[in-house]
Amino acid sequence: MSRFGTLPRRLGHLVLIAFGITLVTFFLLRLIPGDPALAILGTSYTHQRAEAIDLALGLNKPIWTQYVLFMGRLFRGNLGYSFFYSLPATTVIGQHLAPTVFLVIYAAVLAAAISLPLGFVSGLRRGGVVDQSTRVFFTVSFAMPAFWLGIILLIVFSVHLHVFPISGFGSGFAGHLYYLFLPALTIAVGFSTVLIRSLRAATIATLQAEFVDTARMKGISRAKVLRRHVFRNAVLAVVAVFGVNLAYLISGTVLVENVFSLPGLGSLLVNSVSNRDYPVVQGVTLLFALLIVAINLLTDLTQSALDPRVGQEIGE
Amino acid sequence: MSAIDAARASLYIRDTLSTIDEMGCTMLRASWPRMLSLAAIALAMAAAGCSSGGSGAPSGGSAAGSSTLVIANAVRVDTLDPEANSVNESIWLDQNLYSRLLQPNATGTGLLPDLATSWNTSKDGLTYTFHLGNAQFSDGSPVTASDVVFSIDRSRAFKGGWGFLLTPVKTITAPDPHTVVITLSQKHAPLLADLAMYAYSIVPKHLVQTQGKAFFQHPVGSGPFYVTSYKPDSEVDLARNPHFYGTMPKISKVKILVVPDDNTRVLMLESKKADVIENPPGNLTSQIDKTPGLHVDLFPSTRVDFIQLDEHFGPFKKLAVRQALNYAIDRNALVKLAYQGDAIPGASFMPYKMQYFDSSITPYPYDPAKAKSLLASAGYPHGFKTFLITVSGDVAGQAEAVVVKSELAKVGITVAIQSYELLTAYSKEDGGHSQMGERYWTNDIIDPDEVATFGADCKGGANAFNSYWCSTLATSLVNKARSELTSAKRQAYYSQIQQIIYQQSPFIVTDYSPYRYGVGDWVKGFHASPLGAYVLSLETLTVGQH
Repeated sequence: MSRFGTLPRRLGHLVLIAFGITLVTFFLLRLIPGDPALAILGTSYTHQRAEAIDLALGLNKPIWTQYVLFMGRLFRGNLGYSFFYSLPATTVIGQHLAPTVFLVIYAAVLAAAISLPLGFVSGLRRGGVVDQSTRVFFTVSFAMPAFWLGIILLIVFSVHLHVFPISGFGSGFAGHLYYLFLPALTIAVGFSTVLIRSLRAATIATLQAEFVDTARMKGISRAKVLRRHVFRNAVLAVVAVFGVNLAYLISGTVLVENVFSLPGLGSLLVNSVSNRDYPVVQGVTLLFALLIVAINLLTDLTQSALDPRVGQEIGE
Repeated sequence: MSAIDAARASLYIRDTLSTIDEMGCTMLRASWPRMLSLAAIALAMAAAGCSSGGSGAPSGGSAAGSSTLVIANAVRVDTLDPEANSVNESIWLDQNLYSRLLQPNATGTGLLPDLATSWNTSKDGLTYTFHLGNAQFSDGSPVTASDVVFSIDRSRAFKGGWGFLLTPVKTITAPDPHTVVITLSQKHAPLLADLAMYAYSIVPKHLVQTQGKAFFQHPVGSGPFYVTSYKPDSEVDLARNPHFYGTMPKISKVKILVVPDDNTRVLMLESKKADVIENPPGNLTSQIDKTPGLHVDLFPSTRVDFIQLDEHFGPFKKLAVRQALNYAIDRNALVKLAYQGDAIPGASFMPYKMQYFDSSITPYPYDPAKAKSLLASAGYPHGFKTFLITVSGDVAGQAEAVVVKSELAKVGITVAIQSYELLTAYSKEDGGHSQMGERYWTNDIIDPDEVATFGADCKGGANAFNSYWCSTLATSLVNKARSELTSAKRQAYYSQIQQIIYQQSPFIVTDYSPYRYGVGDWVKGFHASPLGAYVLSLETLTVGQH
């Protein structure tokens, strides 16, 4: 199938990008002043103790040797040992993966559930009550930083109403759904603003298209035209926006994770940079990069599956 | 304690809300008229009780007291391996799990027996004999002298760890299961205090040897509690150790939650989901105190906040300049503005709650006129330009920097404030290319040897708190005090060291700041020692109806 003919080439790009990422994270990280020994020793830092730590962590070797060792381990699926947790970095990252992935998917589903009907109706009834109130509400919410919106949701729903828990991940699928509702909602509200705006615009544009008039003139009912022709065409435009923002979300959950005390990848990355926990930072960055590339690829594939014209454009 | 503690927590976005609750409601109130279609918000507001002032409604706590204490900490647990701990909160957690030969008392000024019920010292001060009681680990196996020998040797060998404290130790042996003998190559006064340090916690030899690092995922110790569930980034659950040999705690469980966001921790306390929260932000303490049923406790700490003056910078080589800076800063104003009045103006460089602290030393008085004349005598009648390194996100430190800048401007010194992320700031301050830098000190042991070595001994490895100031007299006094076993003589040595540092001012001691905890009134008896450990209070505290 020519639509998916680009897949091997795209996968090849992925490997190149991954290699570039290892170079950037490995060397950029070592340019920041302050090293792991300082993170470990803090106020009781002496050069003697720092040298002993560097020796133990293998940081006394020349930087190129360290890079070669890192790459050698990487090919065997080993990211090295976390300096902070004294555990393999892969284990540490694995432990933090679930809350973030769950949160992002949950937020994406909530965002889709909120924005598809609202965006479509806003586009159909431009200037109507739904359009106006949606616009005001989501613009205001979008302007609120995640930690602020999160705190307000906590005050209302957790502190006063006792409907949702304040922090934590819960256990079991139902537990996760319950515990992560507020954080997912916090993300979804911001996410929805973008989706609603683009779906609304796409709906308006599609309504003005000639094929809609043609369909109506052929005597097809309005409801059917809206469902079959307008909605499907309008949603197409949103898929790209959805994909790009989803990739952004994966690395952008750190503020929300912080407010709701979720042990996710975002906060792990920020803390690991603060601690100069090189193996974990390298691992998480690599993972983020691969996820973002993979999501972009999936978005393109989804688009071309939905619309054969796209496949031909990104094809040869 | 080493490394990153409070400052790490403050790397997170700090709030700018003075009273979240009120502001949250105001926000909702202001926006709802424009959102007529969203009646749900209005409903939520009504239910949230915003109209009635937004004060916390009583929540569904347990009716007849609780056997569980919930503590919300700001910082993740790094490890449960005491030899490798660098995070304060983890050190304090570990002290609930493991015991040592001896332990510091609740005021941090003396030692109590722990696993060793008694000990004696040979006449030459080179041999210490410890007699162990009949303690058991939480799995029921006995704590023997060979466990003690193994644990201390293990921590001594840990690279970059605290082995350097025990450099004078020649041998550690276990002549019988209840006796540990330590011999020294030279007299070492801080030995007992060193052995009471967290790094020298006792672990079961047979389990650590067979399980290696994996042991510390589900450790076994002889402390009052043991771990039932360990998730370093979110929650550590402890249960009372049925084999504990000391005072059996009244509570049966402790939950330690990791809640990095300052506001969220305060919300957890207000909604009674947490009984004790660590380090509530300074701007929310008055709100907590005003909330019925809650209060903020301040516990004296061994924290000393100071501003290092790097002597590689010309003006700071001159004694008169360093003294002038001390006279130019109004410590009372600084404490009020940066620490909400909760800290104590600083005098001696040693923590004010420890052995041999010289209380006859009083803070430099605020005297800008004297500061000006000292600057003139040093050849800087019109002052000079310098910079001050601060840690971004450290709210109190930032406020302190603004106070210092404005005070020094009055005597002609122009200070540029440079804010960096924690470790970047530290590495800039450590390198010898710095000028002024905000730093702090906290003790790991109760003996003054540690702080004196880092702060007053330029040969001690830390360049006298990185000031690069050097005094052969101070260095020799630090060494003398270390090998002197008579308490009165040590008192005299440490007083002299403190006087020298005070007079020479290699750094500006600004204040002593306390540990801050938000506590529910239903918790009776929570207390942190100056070293930060709360383990002793967990043995007696009660969690009442809430």
